[in-house]
Amino acid sequence: MSFQINCPNCGRRPVGEFRFGGPVQVRPEPTADVETWTDYLYNRSNVRGVQREWWYHRSACKSWFLAARDTRTNTVLATQSFIAEEQAHAGAK
Amino acid sequence: MPEQSEGCQFSFDGRTIEAETGQTIAAALHNARQHVLSRSFKYHRPRGLFCMSGRCPNCLCTVNGEPNVRICMQTAEPNMRVESQNRWPSLRFDVLSVLDRLHRLMPVGFYYKMMHKPRFLWPMFEKVIRRIAGLGRIDRENGHQGRYDKLNMFTDVAVVGGGWVGLHAALEAADAGVSVTLIDDQPALGGHLRHDPDLAGENVADLLAKVMSHPKINVVDSAVVFGCYEQNYLAIQRGQRMIRLRAEQVVVATGGWDRPLVFENNDLPGNLLAGGAQRLMHLDRCSLDGTVVVVTDNAQGYRTALQLAKVGTNVAVIVEIHDTPSADAENISVLTGQTVVAARGRNHVSAAVIESVSGGSQQTIPCRWIVQAVGFTPSTSLLYQSGCTLKYDPQFDQQRVESYAAGTHSAGAVNGTHDLQACALEGRRAGWAAAAALKPAESSRDDQPAELTSALSPRAAGHYASSSPAKKKFVCLCEDVTEKDIYDAIDEGYANIETLKRYSTISMGPCQGKMCQATAIALCARKNGRTIAETGTTTARPPEQPLPLGVLVGRAVRFNLVRRSPMHSWHANAGASFMDAGAWKRPERYRNPDHEYHAVRNRVGLVDVSTLGKIELRGPDVVEFLEFVYPNRFAKLKTGRVRYGVICDEAGILLDDGTIARLEDERFFLTATTGNADAIDGWFRWWLTLKPQLDVQLTNVTSCYAAMNIAGPHSRDVLDKLCDADLTTAAMPYLAAQQFEVAGVKAIVLRIGFVGELGFEIHVPSQYGLHVWRAMMDAGKDYGIKPFGVEAQRRLRLDKKHILAGHDTDALTNPLEADLPWIVKLDKTDFIGRWSLERVKRRGPLNRLVGFRIEGNRVPDEAALVIHNGKLSGRVTSARYSPVAGAVVGLAWVPIEESSNGDTIQIRLDGQLLPAVVQDEPFYDPDGKRLKE
Repeated sequence: MSFQINCPNCGRRPVGEFRFGGPVQVRPEPTADVETWTDYLYNRSNVRGVQREWWYHRSACKSWFLAARDTRTNTVLATQSFIAEEQAHAGAK
Repeated sequence: MPEQSEGCQFSFDGRTIEAETGQTIAAALHNARQHVLSRSFKYHRPRGLFCMSGRCPNCLCTVNGEPNVRICMQTAEPNMRVESQNRWPSLRFDVLSVLDRLHRLMPVGFYYKMMHKPRFLWPMFEKVIRRIAGLGRIDRENGHQGRYDKLNMFTDVAVVGGGWVGLHAALEAADAGVSVTLIDDQPALGGHLRHDPDLAGENVADLLAKVMSHPKINVVDSAVVFGCYEQNYLAIQRGQRMIRLRAEQVVVATGGWDRPLVFENNDLPGNLLAGGAQRLMHLDRCSLDGTVVVVTDNAQGYRTALQLAKVGTNVAVIVEIHDTPSADAENISVLTGQTVVAARGRNHVSAAVIESVSGGSQQTIPCRWIVQAVGFTPSTSLLYQSGCTLKYDPQFDQQRVESYAAGTHSAGAVNGTHDLQACALEGRRAGWAAAAALKPAESSRDDQPAELTSALSPRAAGHYASSSPAKKKFVCLCEDVTEKDIYDAIDEGYANIETLKRYSTISMGPCQGKMCQATAIALCARKNGRTIAETGTTTARPPEQPLPLGVLVGRAVRFNLVRRSPMHSWHANAGASFMDAGAWKRPERYRNPDHEYHAVRNRVGLVDVSTLGKIELRGPDVVEFLEFVYPNRFAKLKTGRVRYGVICDEAGILLDDGTIARLEDERFFLTATTGNADAIDGWFRWWLTLKPQLDVQLTNVTSCYAAMNIAGPHSRDVLDKLCDADLTTAAMPYLAAQQFEVAGVKAIVLRIGFVGELGFEIHVPSQYGLHVWRAMMDAGKDYGIKPFGVEAQRRLRLDKKHILAGHDTDALTNPLEADLPWIVKLDKTDFIGRWSLERVKRRGPLNRLVGFRIEGNRVPDEAALVIHNGKLSGRVTSARYSPVAGAVVGLAWVPIEESSNGDTIQIRLDGQLLPAVVQDEPFYDPDGKRLKE
């Protein structure tokens, strides 16, 4: 792995500075049924293509942010802080 | 004028050889008439100079103890000790050359078919084969004095290859205003132009001067780009240094090399590639003595022949494979429609056997050298590695790019372009495109070479091997694989190029397919009756060129992170032996853990716990955050109190344990285990990111505080001497968290007891850690204070059945089964892991972490198995002899059916089963009186 990620805070850094946080998932309601929770805990889509996922800048600013990465080529298409993403969604509504 | 060449002397197998200044070892040996340089891998056939460019395996020798050095690329230095390899007792008389006659016993893949029966003989065969296999030997006594390191570089455009094409590409990109790094594997730029005077013109000197003086071009010579990784991350070897170059755009102008012709005995010394002959002539100023026969199907062969003749070499004939000459041969005679089918000679070529291409009568021409110029293999490895797709183009007789990977360009012979003008144009175009990708608005180009395609001059269709049934027609020089071996392997069913490679080992030697892969593919296609395009290629992987492991390692050993507590030097002086806890160094013991243990139980001890993770949380919403992250209840945690808690993940798995202290209304001080500190820091930050509505500030203060734990019946007496605070149980009860000065330093003091004695955990700013530690040790002298290490701490806590997260727990542990059910407050509406823990509670625990006691003093190993009815049922996680319990005590995971107080479990130790009794109560002070006094 030798690609680079554009940290929303720090800019372009080598991937070794970050920790992968898994694909973005929605946490079920506490009262959701067993299928929903099992899916959330144990199943993954393993997307072959562009995946929305979490990254943690462990060696520097220690911020968690979102990235869109093409899992076929490890090209990171976009990165965005979580707050910015939420605001964008709120704005779109 | 002073003497031009002083020269030097070196030894080759004990023989003194003269070398001119700057001459390669190979050239010096050539002048000294030493033409046999090595013995081949399998058959131990004599081998000599062939490619003269560091690609074939023929000249590998040991130089000054370093094995497998390509002496055709290594400059001779005074007193160098050069030794040939893979021969015994000598190069001239190698006992194992008898294997050449036994080739019938060693068909392709013979080791898969022979030598495994009878089975009992295999260890002997293995020893013998191990001794024989390999080329150079590693000097285990003297080792290798090498200094390796790494360099990181960044550039806009990397141009790989500093020949005619690369020079143009670099200049074009640099003139467009981007930074360029030009990498070439030779000590000087120019590529083929350095050893082919007909190609170079006066323009070259001009071009070179421009490149060398351009402010935006950085030239890296004598460097091999051996790998292209994601996002144009280039790995380069330059001697004993690895350069890691991050490039925005890459231009591949790596050219390629001559392809060998396959005929009988084509591996004899005296066979030379045309490029090799040119390098000998023009770079090393050597001559070929005796008659030369040139076999060719293109203009390069003619050029080489004429250049040889010009310096006085006796070129007997040009053997032209086509029916008409490919170029003007001037005075040299040409035999058309003929090819070389065999070389004759013992240790050197003595004659070439020529035959008509369509078969027929043969003629033998006595000669000492056979120069081959029958094809061209492009150096496409980096293109493959970067993700370009290539396809075989029959018009060019080579692989050519079909689609480029992002940020990759190529130009020149690697694309199949050989005409000088077209190459210059292609190079400039690639350089421009690379720059334009970075600065689109500023670049414009009018003279787009529309005539480019017509200017490309394809080479003639390939001639790979003369057709004759002879056996010793070598395709792979590194592994001694013949044409017959390839056909046999295909007959045996290894018809796919990938399986053919693995079964025959072709292209798996030092040349990595440079000499043989193209030919192997062509033969595979021919044998299968398919096209070369259909046959495909094997996957190209780094390194493109073999390199020493030291280059990959660099100085890694010196760069291992080590973290030390502020009191580290004190511990070292006190005779502590250190253990690793992640990157931290912790004192494992000072001298005698038994004495340390007794000091804590009976008097007072001091332990350095600075490595603990520490996190400060501040804000009005911290309690809400803690309620969500921990299964504990925190709503009622009062200011001035500390609590033990565990952190779980969504699956209810225990991630870490630690303490949570409320120092002020909106200020909390948390500790985590040493090993998990960074992970918990990240975990907290993620949940805070997801809940931006919470007003919580988090700071990782692990390095900011030094921490020590004073424990034992006299701990209060000692601490009392160093502070004014009221330490009585009335003012500071068990689980109190207060702030006051200790030894004049503002401290956070927690009254907690991991080791089961009256004790205080003191956190001070790390720059005062050593001062406070010394003050404590001083104050404790009257009470017989002793420092204690991790080992003593482990024993002490085990007496109280306190678990170590990550040691007694693992990735399947939930707090309900780890004997901490009181921590999980399922009546809370929501917390991380609630759903999973509720299911576990409903289902009931399947296993339980229990304490056990064994009479006697035999201590089971940690991870010793618990056996039930002959089957594995659990395991021991901690075990020690406990003086206070007078028995061996420990913790183990057992199934729920065997986990009741008083049950007997069987623990396996040294093949025997030891009975142990499950005990719920702590082994020492079960009511915690010592803690709370």
